Amino acid sequence: MKKTGKNKGQFFLSLCLLSVFVLTAFLTLSSFSGSADPYDTEAGKYTRDDLRRGQRLFKGLMPFSSGLHDCASCHYPSRTDTMNWNPSAHDLAMLWLEDDDYSIREKLAMPIGTRMIEDHMGMSVTEQEEHYLEAYLMEVARRGPGELQAIPVNAMIFWGLGILMALAIIDLLVTKKIKTKVFHVLILVVGLMVHMQYAVAESRNLGRTEGYAPDQPIKFSHQIHSGQHEIDCQYCHTISKFSPSAGIPSNNTCLNCHSVIREGTNSGRFEINKIHRAEASGNAVSWIRVHKLPDHSVFSHAQHVNAGGVECQDCHGPVETMHILMQTSDLSMGWCLTCHRDSNVDFSANPYFQTYQRLYEKVLNGELDAVTAAELGGEDCMSCHH
Amino acid sequence: MMKNNYWKSIEEKEGKESMEEMQEQQDSSMMEILANESNNKASSRRDFLKWCGISFVSATVISACENPVKKAIPYLTQPEELTPGKGIWYASTYQNGNEYCPILVKNRDGRPIKIEGNYSSAITGGGTTARVQASILTLYDNGARYQQPRKNGQAIAWDEADREIMAQLKAFSAQGRKMALVTPTLLSPATKALISEAQEAFPGLEVVTWDPVSPEAIRKAHLESFGNAVFPEYRFDKAKLIVSFGADFLGSWISPAVHARQYAATRKISQDKPEMSRHIQFESRMSLTGANADERIPVKPSEQLNILMALYNAMARATGNTGIDGPNVDYDVNALARDILANRGQSLIVSDHQSTESQVLVNAINAMAGNYNHTLLTGNPLMTGMGDDTGLEQLVSQMEEGQYAAVMFCNSNPAYHFHNQEKIARAISNTELTISFASTRDETAETCTYILPDNHYLESWNDAMFKEGHYSLTQPAIHRLFDTRQMQDTLLTWMGHDNDFHSWLKEYWSTNLFGKQSRYPDRESFWMHSLQAGVFEHPVSPVVLPAIRTAAATEAIQKLRQHVAQNTGTEFLVYPHLSLYDGACANNPWLQELPDPVTSVVWDNFAAVSPAFAKANNLSDGDEIRVGNKITIPVLIQPGQADDCMSIALGYGRTQAGKAGDLVGSNAFPLIRMDGTTRLFDGQLGAWEKAGSRHRFARTQTHFSMEGRPIVRESTLDKYRKDPAAGNEIRAYHQKYALTLYPEDTFEGHHWVLMIDLNACTGCSTCVIACQSENNVPVVGKDEVRRRRIMHWMRIDRYYNGETDNPGVVFQPVMCMHCDHAPCESVCPVAATTHSVAGLNQIAYNRCVGTKYCINNCPYKVRRFNWFAYANNKAFDYHKNSEFGRMVLNPDVTVRERGVVEKCSFCVQRIQEGKLNAKNERRKVNDGEIIPACVQGCPAGALVFGDLNDKNSKAASLIEDSRNYHLLEEFHTLPSVGYLTKIRNPKV
Repeated sequence: MKKTGKNKGQFFLSLCLLSVFVLTAFLTLSSFSGSADPYDTEAGKYTRDDLRRGQRLFKGLMPFSSGLHDCASCHYPSRTDTMNWNPSAHDLAMLWLEDDDYSIREKLAMPIGTRMIEDHMGMSVTEQEEHYLEAYLMEVARRGPGELQAIPVNAMIFWGLGILMALAIIDLLVTKKIKTKVFHVLILVVGLMVHMQYAVAESRNLGRTEGYAPDQPIKFSHQIHSGQHEIDCQYCHTISKFSPSAGIPSNNTCLNCHSVIREGTNSGRFEINKIHRAEASGNAVSWIRVHKLPDHSVFSHAQHVNAGGVECQDCHGPVETMHILMQTSDLSMGWCLTCHRDSNVDFSANPYFQTYQRLYEKVLNGELDAVTAAELGGEDCMSCHH
Repeated sequence: MMKNNYWKSIEEKEGKESMEEMQEQQDSSMMEILANESNNKASSRRDFLKWCGISFVSATVISACENPVKKAIPYLTQPEELTPGKGIWYASTYQNGNEYCPILVKNRDGRPIKIEGNYSSAITGGGTTARVQASILTLYDNGARYQQPRKNGQAIAWDEADREIMAQLKAFSAQGRKMALVTPTLLSPATKALISEAQEAFPGLEVVTWDPVSPEAIRKAHLESFGNAVFPEYRFDKAKLIVSFGADFLGSWISPAVHARQYAATRKISQDKPEMSRHIQFESRMSLTGANADERIPVKPSEQLNILMALYNAMARATGNTGIDGPNVDYDVNALARDILANRGQSLIVSDHQSTESQVLVNAINAMAGNYNHTLLTGNPLMTGMGDDTGLEQLVSQMEEGQYAAVMFCNSNPAYHFHNQEKIARAISNTELTISFASTRDETAETCTYILPDNHYLESWNDAMFKEGHYSLTQPAIHRLFDTRQMQDTLLTWMGHDNDFHSWLKEYWSTNLFGKQSRYPDRESFWMHSLQAGVFEHPVSPVVLPAIRTAAATEAIQKLRQHVAQNTGTEFLVYPHLSLYDGACANNPWLQELPDPVTSVVWDNFAAVSPAFAKANNLSDGDEIRVGNKITIPVLIQPGQADDCMSIALGYGRTQAGKAGDLVGSNAFPLIRMDGTTRLFDGQLGAWEKAGSRHRFARTQTHFSMEGRPIVRESTLDKYRKDPAAGNEIRAYHQKYALTLYPEDTFEGHHWVLMIDLNACTGCSTCVIACQSENNVPVVGKDEVRRRRIMHWMRIDRYYNGETDNPGVVFQPVMCMHCDHAPCESVCPVAATTHSVAGLNQIAYNRCVGTKYCINNCPYKVRRFNWFAYANNKAFDYHKNSEFGRMVLNPDVTVRERGVVEKCSFCVQRIQEGKLNAKNERRKVNDGEIIPACVQGCPAGALVFGDLNDKNSKAASLIEDSRNYHLLEEFHTLPSVGYLTKIRNPKV
């Protein structure tokens, strides 16, 4: 009986080991499987060779007839985590898809706008080369802009510790190679603690997106607009004084200025043209939402901007310094309440606060130092959750 | 101490357990069995560890998940009048046959989400009814709405259908064949003008106006009595004595929202005005109006006519006219006649009887009482009741013979509403071209060749004239959701017009109405201002009635006598249901789940019988009976029902209404029969038998019972005049012993309170639907209501008082009391329910873990538990399970998840919005500026919401009223909801 019991235990453990191995192998393989066969040419219009030539031309590995131009050095073929003002390869590909008559040859022959003229000086491509480039760019369009590939340090630590712990258990119970059991215990204790810490930290941040700074469909820079040119936030976010929503400016708001200002210092004409393209096509720009609250929370910009007199930067951070907009606060309930508890209400600023006559008098008499937003209902659950 | 003699059900009165309770116990024992079964599979420590492991791993995995990318897509060109995230209101008009209500439609980000009354209307003054409030849900009923034109069940393009139909209509006109357009009463002058133009374009086209529930007898009786077929305007507000013969004017007769407002005006009393009207109701069923009466006489329909005739005689004798020997009745009509004459010109006699003769008598009595031009105005007559029963009867007979080449049904469903269903079916099948303009599925449209779906009224242009000189406009509040077209546009297309009905309507107003005002100098500004206000009024030259023709009454009595003599034995009465009315809106789950205020039955109709009748015939609640081959229906024992009489609600038993309305209850229209020039809704029941089967009702009657404490308080006017605290004496006692160890709560700033005047509340339940619409309250279905899981945040409690044959009735709206010492708050283990600084009892849904301790500890039983996820759940296939149906949800109110408790919040979203508006405009909140949905919807103005800390507010003054009391004050829960004692005005 005893023997079978032990056998059973061994079988179970080896199964565990096997499954850990299979899982690791699977994860490793799956990360490579994406690049197995990227070149799937479309309906015989381009050959695999066209595609390869296009890629080499674009990346500066093969000279054009007019010389060696590394397109990819400005028009990045993959996503980066820094601001690149030039249109990416994907941007160009999308433009090509949109416009049937698009021709790189013509664009290079007659560049528009100062930036484009300066940067493409002396460049030209032949019809054949254009065909190669088209083959490559269509492939880029098909693949999409791609994801930013960061090294998953945390995941590596998590899984590494997991494997180490599994090995420790196996050695502790089955193989028994290491006699000093302190090692096993240490690995298990430290491993479990780190795992717990991850679980707690990750679950706390579940749904929170502090530091979120996605690439937007237009490289709109708040730094240039509100920092450099000092345009008031509410010039574009007009409804923030009246509505719960601050309002993403509609296309016609952009055109207030950009019907005249057709070229940017950094991005040339390409980005501003997207506004005009949207206007022409009738499809509004699909911005990526940065600041999000869960559905059960109600937040009113009008309450804070208009009635409360809160500065935009108090919640949104130094937006006027950001090229790519980033969420700087975690937008958690604790963060909201801290502010509600710390913000004093200026009773004299608004006749509405005469409703709180007794409190007002207490402040005048010096019985109270100040009245915080929390004391006027800023801490009531249903003020925000209803 | 006050002796409590109120009861909620017959079983409770007799100390027995109710049928519902017994059934529920059976259910719960079933639940135990199920629970025991699962217990046999004992879970072990190992299972526990397994689950621990799984939850740890899943927490880690979930936390590694990425947040979904959300898009923020702005307008390309933002409309100037629109602020995303804020509501925008459009004035419009609800009209459906005889029903009329000027409304405001709240639009959020392009979709209508709430309907409220239009305060600018002199007719309704902002009042609504449950049906008006619920009509918004039909807009999003993608299951029942026709989404494209059809021919023989197959989709067809509009232009193709137009081509085919126009060719046929032209051919029929050329051949001189007859065609008919069947419509209900049309209140729209522009549409009527359009239809008469269509008649010119297609010679041979007749218009047949027919209402399923029709007050046309009143119009026909005025033709008999005065030679002028006017429909008078009733002014209950000017009456000191109201005598109603069966007319449920607060529930379903003519225009309940208008009547409720007028009636409440005569019922609201204060120490400054200790006067109120007296209301006597003769009726066969326990109606909402009868429940409000000071004196209620339950008599069967034929006896009602006898009393009417006897009253006529008594009045005739007392005024020196010639009476004829009337029947002997059990009621002192002479005393009543004296009372009526003592209130000359200040009484009002009404009857809902469908025979012209009885209405002729009512006219004669009103004339003798001097009520014309005082409480009965014919100066600006009403435009309702244009239907003609004989017209349709004739049409159906001739259609059956194949005399009609084409028939079109506009907003008309005779296949369901007509009393002889085989005949109408034959008539439709014997007609060559049949067209229905139905916007939602109905029995008639399903048998027609073409279905050319009309828009929902919230997608349409229209106008309405309910009263001569009082106009209002209907404007679209949303773009068409489906491929539908307004009936008027369809007609214009067939007539070969290029412009649409919008421009036709504008042109009509410009030609016919612009000249009748002088305020706006040009046509465009007149149109825009009328559209913005929704209503337009202009003075008209009053209709002057000639002297009454007394012979009419004599003739009428002779006919009525014959009619009464025919009715022997058990009688029946069919009546339009309070929420479903004639059944056109039967697929509206809000209305189906609205408890009938008197019987508290939901999702059903029934044959109400008196307790004595039930005992004599050995019937109990839910026994099904069969009446000939016309109807099979369960019996419900109704206290106060006239003996030897069954009353059955119309509007049920639809077969082609949609998933919510199909086969709910039984169709009572086949019981109606034609008699003379009108259809009669009552008569001899004939042979009936027990069907042998039993039916289980879903009733809210015994739910949330408060165990017989003095929670409704009433008194009489006489006692009130002597002591304003009459009926409320116990309050002083409670206040004397209201001691507490805790410091008194102070509320800085606001302290919200709600005052409910039981004297003005008629129990019409509009507030319940208004609340449901505003607060995304789910529909749970019949089965769940049987398990007492109805989710309404607000309920109308109904208490009986006295004997079962004719009890007094008190209605009491109950919602969260927002107690200052709330028992629910102290027992919540996770502090999910707390008190706000403005006195609101709040609940944070996302914090609630569903222990339900608060529900158990709430003495008012106003908290509701989400037993299931009611949104996105196939098991609750109502509007929240459909992408379209969910468009009606209010984005300012969370849709609650499974496992959390919810309850009335005093519409905190409106309070927040109101406060914010005041802050942003740098001013204090005005009294009456912030009102919850229930207060807004109330047609009687029975509910007053306000800030107790604002000493000038109406609510603060009412709370000082000596009639004010709070529910279960002895618990010292300090509720923020106050009730004003009900005062009745019986004859001393």
